Amino acid sequence: MSETKTQKSKSLWQHAFSELTRDKLAMLCLTVVIVYAISAIASALGFIGADWAKEVGPSYAPPSGDHIFGLDIFGRSVFDKMVKGTEVAMSIGLVTALISMVIGVTLGATAGYFGGKIDEFIVWFYTTFTSIPYIMLLVAITFILGKGLVAIYLALGLTSWVGLCRLIRGEVIRHKDREYVHAAAAIGGGDFRKLFLHILPNVLHIVIINFSLQFQTAIKAEVILSFLGLGVQGRPSWGTMIDDAKLELARGVWWQLAAATLAMWIVVLSLNILGDALRDALDPKLKGK
Amino acid sequence: MNIWAYIIRRLLYVIPVLLGVCLIIFVLFNLVSPDPTLIMLGKHASVSQMEDLRRELGLDRPWFLQYLDVVKSAFTFDFGRSWSTKQEIIEMIKAGAIPSLTLSIPAFVISTFLSISISLFVAFFRGTILDRTIVFLCVTMMSISSLAYILFGQWFFAFKLGLFEISGYEFGFPYFIPYVILPVLIWVMLGIGPDVRFYRTIILDEIYQDYVRTARAKGLSENKIMFKHVLKNAMIPIITYVIIQIPFLILGALLLETFFSIPGLGGIVLSAINSSDFPVVKAMTILISVAYIIFSVLTDVMYTLVDPRVRLK
Amino acid sequence: MAEKILEIKDLCVEFNTDRGRIRAVNGVNLEVFKGKTLGVVGESGSGKSVTALSIMRLIPTPPGRIANGTIDYRGENLLEIPFDEMRRIRGNKIAMIFQEPMTSLNPVFTVGNQIEEVIELHQSELSKEQRKEKAVEMLKLVGIPSPEQRVTEYPHQLSGGMRQRVMIAMSLACEPDILIADEPTTALDVTIQAQILELMNKLQKELGMGIIMITHDLGVVAETCDDVAVMYCGQIVERADVKTLFNHPQHPYTKGLMESIPSFDSTSGQTKGRLPTIEGMVPSLFDLPDGCNFQDRCKNVTDKCRGSEGEPKLREISPGHDAACFHPLS
Repeated sequence: MSETKTQKSKSLWQHAFSELTRDKLAMLCLTVVIVYAISAIASALGFIGADWAKEVGPSYAPPSGDHIFGLDIFGRSVFDKMVKGTEVAMSIGLVTALISMVIGVTLGATAGYFGGKIDEFIVWFYTTFTSIPYIMLLVAITFILGKGLVAIYLALGLTSWVGLCRLIRGEVIRHKDREYVHAAAAIGGGDFRKLFLHILPNVLHIVIINFSLQFQTAIKAEVILSFLGLGVQGRPSWGTMIDDAKLELARGVWWQLAAATLAMWIVVLSLNILGDALRDALDPKLKGK
Repeated sequence: MNIWAYIIRRLLYVIPVLLGVCLIIFVLFNLVSPDPTLIMLGKHASVSQMEDLRRELGLDRPWFLQYLDVVKSAFTFDFGRSWSTKQEIIEMIKAGAIPSLTLSIPAFVISTFLSISISLFVAFFRGTILDRTIVFLCVTMMSISSLAYILFGQWFFAFKLGLFEISGYEFGFPYFIPYVILPVLIWVMLGIGPDVRFYRTIILDEIYQDYVRTARAKGLSENKIMFKHVLKNAMIPIITYVIIQIPFLILGALLLETFFSIPGLGGIVLSAINSSDFPVVKAMTILISVAYIIFSVLTDVMYTLVDPRVRLK
Repeated sequence: MAEKILEIKDLCVEFNTDRGRIRAVNGVNLEVFKGKTLGVVGESGSGKSVTALSIMRLIPTPPGRIANGTIDYRGENLLEIPFDEMRRIRGNKIAMIFQEPMTSLNPVFTVGNQIEEVIELHQSELSKEQRKEKAVEMLKLVGIPSPEQRVTEYPHQLSGGMRQRVMIAMSLACEPDILIADEPTTALDVTIQAQILELMNKLQKELGMGIIMITHDLGVVAETCDDVAVMYCGQIVERADVKTLFNHPQHPYTKGLMESIPSFDSTSGQTKGRLPTIEGMVPSLFDLPDGCNFQDRCKNVTDKCRGSEGEPKLREISPGHDAACFHPLS
């Protein structure tokens, strides 16, 4: 029985994979995301964008052949800043999504699986948590943690797990009374084994879909944090670049805003489309729509 | 169980949630956040100065009394005074609420109405090029940073073209109108992408239900199916989604208000954040949380009224 | 001979899928007579439901498309009449009930409301009170106890069997010529199944409509049908009146279907041996073999079946009995 089960779930994933690879737009978006990821790694290792802080020309020089996105107030290349900003954006997306995934899955699975008082407590906790406006929570957490990249990771990660937690809890409740879980219990599977080997693989698709969603939400949220003065310090990020533009636009300096917005738009759009494609491929409920 | 028993039970559940909200706020602002006296007096303050201030602010009292203060304020709305402006916070909120609402209510009504109309239209043409184009457009619009919309909108339409007021506000009807038109438009632009997508998904979920096929087999026209059968079912999640957004309207749009210098609550919150004015931030947090809790009870009750399937558990 | 009220000729229905175009129904011919029941039997994916939906013009388009054929109802080709005219026929002259009684009714309207809606649509001369009366009357007709109270209830307050009765009441409210029943009892308990079939038989005698009974269950066919068409891979492979079909099946597929019904030996009180099944799988519609579609599962297969002489056409084996097989069984 367990053999046919794994075969069946394998074929679901295989099917999803073949469906995804046939979707040309999704593949294009995946390529874009990979390019961004590689740029981020290359920038972290110092291969690209390392000279972002160097003064290469006059302050606010408009875009030209040498500097396609022009220069900023200190004569630094906006293009280099944009590239360097990729590193910050991708790391924020990744770490935030990981944090919210770990919290969401752990709490959701615990609540759904054990039920009873534990479930009541976790439900109470997230009901309480969602009652507090998101932006206020962000602000409070950054107050406590101070400024900097780690504070941003934590602030965004700690505030974005509720949606996933709810979904996982619901799915685990749905799955835990299915025959195959009972069968696993009958052959002597413990709680841990049942939860990790039998239930979680069946809710994995939700985690994946949520991950891509969370990734891009975090990238967008970084801009808001920067605007609130809680952003990254001492290195360029798309958020601080866009925030800088509020003083530049009136002087006709549009290129910093354009560069950061464009860079962000392309990756967020790709993640959005990829997330939709993933959902179509992985969520059988939505098949055929 | 009848509806009144359900409402009472639902209201009773408000108590633990409200206490929880107060607990989180208390923990965040009174326990683990950096010492506010340090922020207010600066690094060079003497120990005795700091202790005096702590006593003045009531921060030297036992923690449970401080927690009780937070709980009390959630019921009495007596939030004390701002640390930076020394004003009564509730008065500041009252003054800021009106400009905020003159922006957020029209924006909310227009964007909700527009989004639902567009999504009905799109659902009608589901699967066609038109549908796919509009959905793609929505995703595209959602993927642009909200700050970019505001910056570009203000710069281009107000500054460059001079079509609208760049910033500012005047109290009283109809004087405020010229100042809120552009922010309202930007709000609608910001909301339309995610909203249309959300409403479209809900409507399509219904369109593919078996009862729609039954309605067709009866000989009903597509219009009648859409506006009677589908919409009545789709209204259930739509109403929930709409109502639950209302509490956040109090806050207005923090970003929009700041950029357009609208003296609303968003601006008050922002300057409180910048000056570490904890009581104001706490007050706004409590206020919106309370509103959110009340509205979620309201949504649940509405739900039971609209959907005959809901069993009152 | 009873009056012929519906004739389907050479019906072809195609679907565009991600993996290419498939022909779900391929050259189907059927006839429905007044007061008679036509059974359409086949496994899932054989095209029987698509055929039924085509009659109502309810094929979702896109991805589906009726590629060819005519559906003649009392001298009119249903596939060519304007859409508005088709809507006047739906629910009025030709009605349909579906497999899923749990979801086929709209959850947010009362049962009465949904029955009244179809009456209002097609019998607009009736007043509101008359419509209400008629809804109660219909519920009484389909054997729902205390109909006056039930009309005010919502679907979720009724059991599956009751909901299917409501569906039948709704479909018969305008006294249609033809009732299409798409697996009407599949989702129901066995005892309820029998009740519903009995009800349909009774109502057919009272109202005299022709019924198209779509099912995968030969037991249902035996209980309700006068004529039977067996479908496989979008085509009719055998057609006869019910007695002939059960006594002398000609197509190996039909025979296989019959053998896979559990039968009960009343003398020994035991089932007769091991239940035979049809070996192999239904071929994918994307990849149909040359020749006979049943070749891979057939015991009597020859080279002829493998495409040397094209695919077997439906031909008359004996008067009133057609089969699409090169080697009919008797």
